Amino acid sequence: MSKGFANNRLTLLSLGVVACFMAVGVRLVFLHVIDRDELLRFVDKARRQIVIEHARRGTILDSRGNLLATSRSEVTIAVDAWALDEFLQIDKNPAKRARRAAEQQAKRVQLAALLGLPVDDIEKAFVPAMRAIKPEADQRDGKVDGLTKDRWVKLREGVDEPTFAQIEALNLRGLTAERIYRRVYPGNELAAHLIGFVNKEGSAAAGVESKFDLFLKGEDGWIESEKDGARREMAQFRTREIPVKDGHDVVLTIDSVVQHMIENELRGIGAKYQPKFATIIVSDPMTGRILGMANYPSFNLNEYNKAPLDVQRNRAITDQIEPGSVFKIVAAGAALDQGLVTPLTGFDCGNPLVNYKGRDLKLPKEDHEFGRLTVAEIISHSSNRGAAHLAMLMGEQNFYDYARKFGFGQRTGFQLGGEERGMLEAPRNWDGLTITRMPMGHAVAATPLQMHMAMSAIANGGVLLRPQIIQEIRDASGNVTHTYPPERVGQVLKPSTSALLAQLLHSVVGKDGTGAGFDLPGFEIAAKTGTTQKIIDGRYVTTHHVGSFVGFFPASRPEVVLTVIVDDAQVPGGRNYGRAVAAPAFQRIAEQLVQYLEIKPVAPATRRLLALSGGAR
Amino acid sequence: MKPPPANANINRLIALSLLLLVFSGTLGLGAVWVRQEISQTANRSRALVARIAEVERRLDEVNAEVAAAVNPDALLKQNQAMRLGLGTPQEVQVVRVEGSPELRLAAKRNREIFRLASAPAGDSAPAFRLVTASLR
Repeated sequence: MSKGFANNRLTLLSLGVVACFMAVGVRLVFLHVIDRDELLRFVDKARRQIVIEHARRGTILDSRGNLLATSRSEVTIAVDAWALDEFLQIDKNPAKRARRAAEQQAKRVQLAALLGLPVDDIEKAFVPAMRAIKPEADQRDGKVDGLTKDRWVKLREGVDEPTFAQIEALNLRGLTAERIYRRVYPGNELAAHLIGFVNKEGSAAAGVESKFDLFLKGEDGWIESEKDGARREMAQFRTREIPVKDGHDVVLTIDSVVQHMIENELRGIGAKYQPKFATIIVSDPMTGRILGMANYPSFNLNEYNKAPLDVQRNRAITDQIEPGSVFKIVAAGAALDQGLVTPLTGFDCGNPLVNYKGRDLKLPKEDHEFGRLTVAEIISHSSNRGAAHLAMLMGEQNFYDYARKFGFGQRTGFQLGGEERGMLEAPRNWDGLTITRMPMGHAVAATPLQMHMAMSAIANGGVLLRPQIIQEIRDASGNVTHTYPPERVGQVLKPSTSALLAQLLHSVVGKDGTGAGFDLPGFEIAAKTGTTQKIIDGRYVTTHHVGSFVGFFPASRPEVVLTVIVDDAQVPGGRNYGRAVAAPAFQRIAEQLVQYLEIKPVAPATRRLLALSGGAR
Repeated sequence: MKPPPANANINRLIALSLLLLVFSGTLGLGAVWVRQEISQTANRSRALVARIAEVERRLDEVNAEVAAAVNPDALLKQNQAMRLGLGTPQEVQVVRVEGSPELRLAAKRNREIFRLASAPAGDSAPAFRLVTASLR
């Protein structure tokens, strides 16, 4: 029989193999059981990493899909001078090392040119330096001397991607880069008060950015994995991964072109009159959608930090003014709606005194002396006494109720928030003269948007709508997730009354109206001028006014509501009336809107028919 | 029965050890190969994700630049800089056409066709050919 391999040496070998296996087994037991916790702690510290993936903030678009706000990546470039030093030290050959150093130096000159920095500054940053740290935290270099290698010297932040690509191509040692998303506003000043901004810390500060931050910001994701010695992620060791969810896009109702038109006009008003502030609002009366809303002064969203806080306010909703004669639409509309008067009903507007509920009340002054005026003339001539007569005919409570129905004294529900309620006291708080003063827009305060929406109700067959600034919200894939349909607040006037009132308001721009000369032939401007004396030191003054022109067109088939308000325009002689400072801007904008929105003129026959049938609705 | 010799047991042990070595070696190499494949696939996947992110970043960059370039203010400045003299049309320059312009143009065209179609006999080509050719 053969002995095979069964000799002593083979026995020894097999025992050795078994012993090796046992040794490996024992080592494995030590590694995986006995020292497991300690080793895991070490591995976790040395290799495990959690990488946070930042969600891309959603964009803000106008109703036609033009970009109003977006996020763009920018790079912060820094220097780790020690990394360059270590790279050069690897080469032991002095000549070769010198050649490498010269190559790097030449690249640094190119870097300086790309970053627009002096070469000296770059060279200074590339000199290895130490920085002071707390001694208890000084465990990095083995010496507890309160100093550590400074491995991050910032060169420049806000480097754009194309420039960074060129810098990367240099392959310069010791450069580190950190990429962040920065908000950019391509339109600069366009719709600044509506869009708001995101500050450098990434916090949304105002406007849509702030109010719809929940939709825009998205959700950060994170990846738990391991890194190698060069701190690169080892993707195969990913253990957990929470995917990033990019922010939703918010689509506004505004139209960039309309917005630009009104902002351009406001710049003109600002240059010509240097007002305290001015506001223009454009909207669609049938839906309540705001097509444009702008204020003067404004600011550049990309340089928000240079704008004073006062300038950043959206005055169309935050500032209250006395509406002045624009408020006469309440008295006229209410009296017509209740059937108390017809357009031909006459009132004595020449007498400064009137007996009301057994008391003689002094009526407000008129700009011009009037005699007997019909309701139609009260509106076109903007008679203060006529408006007072209409309100007295209704009584305090009735008049107050209509003012509330028009939306005065309550927030409009503007989606961006931050709006003022306005001021409209209940009749129990009125003094004896309020019934004669409130109809002409004194003793009441409203925001420009409230005035605008009140006029919009007349244009919309008597229905008061909530102003809409958000059209829809889309997810990152472009699917619509939320829509904002028109919201009805209430019926202010009968459709027939609103159509009649629209025709009466059209007479304001007629031959004898306060807005004479500001009509667009064929487009039936229906509007109301307003001039309010400002209260300075507790008294109404005659040299400081808030001028306004609020209206819509065409009167028989309203398509656009437009409000122009100019506060304290600097006009020689203090003649800063609504007719002088706001109406011309209204007319210029209306001309442009007719072209841009393709509004067709109303033929005279159609006009009469539409007026009789209660408007186009 | 004669018990197996002790050497045979040792031989079996050695053979089993060798088999174990080969088996565990194969397993080990297989595991390394699988890990390597996983690693390469994961890295390729990571590189693709990074590339997609890069392209998206570029897209954002370009979109922002396009938006800034087509901003009404920027276009107006271009209009001035390039002396194009473009402006909003004035109302007096506009002639409004009642009804659909397409139907109006089609009607005009058809009138021309039928005039030709009803032309006196002796024309070089039959009327129906003119009609079909024009409608094509």
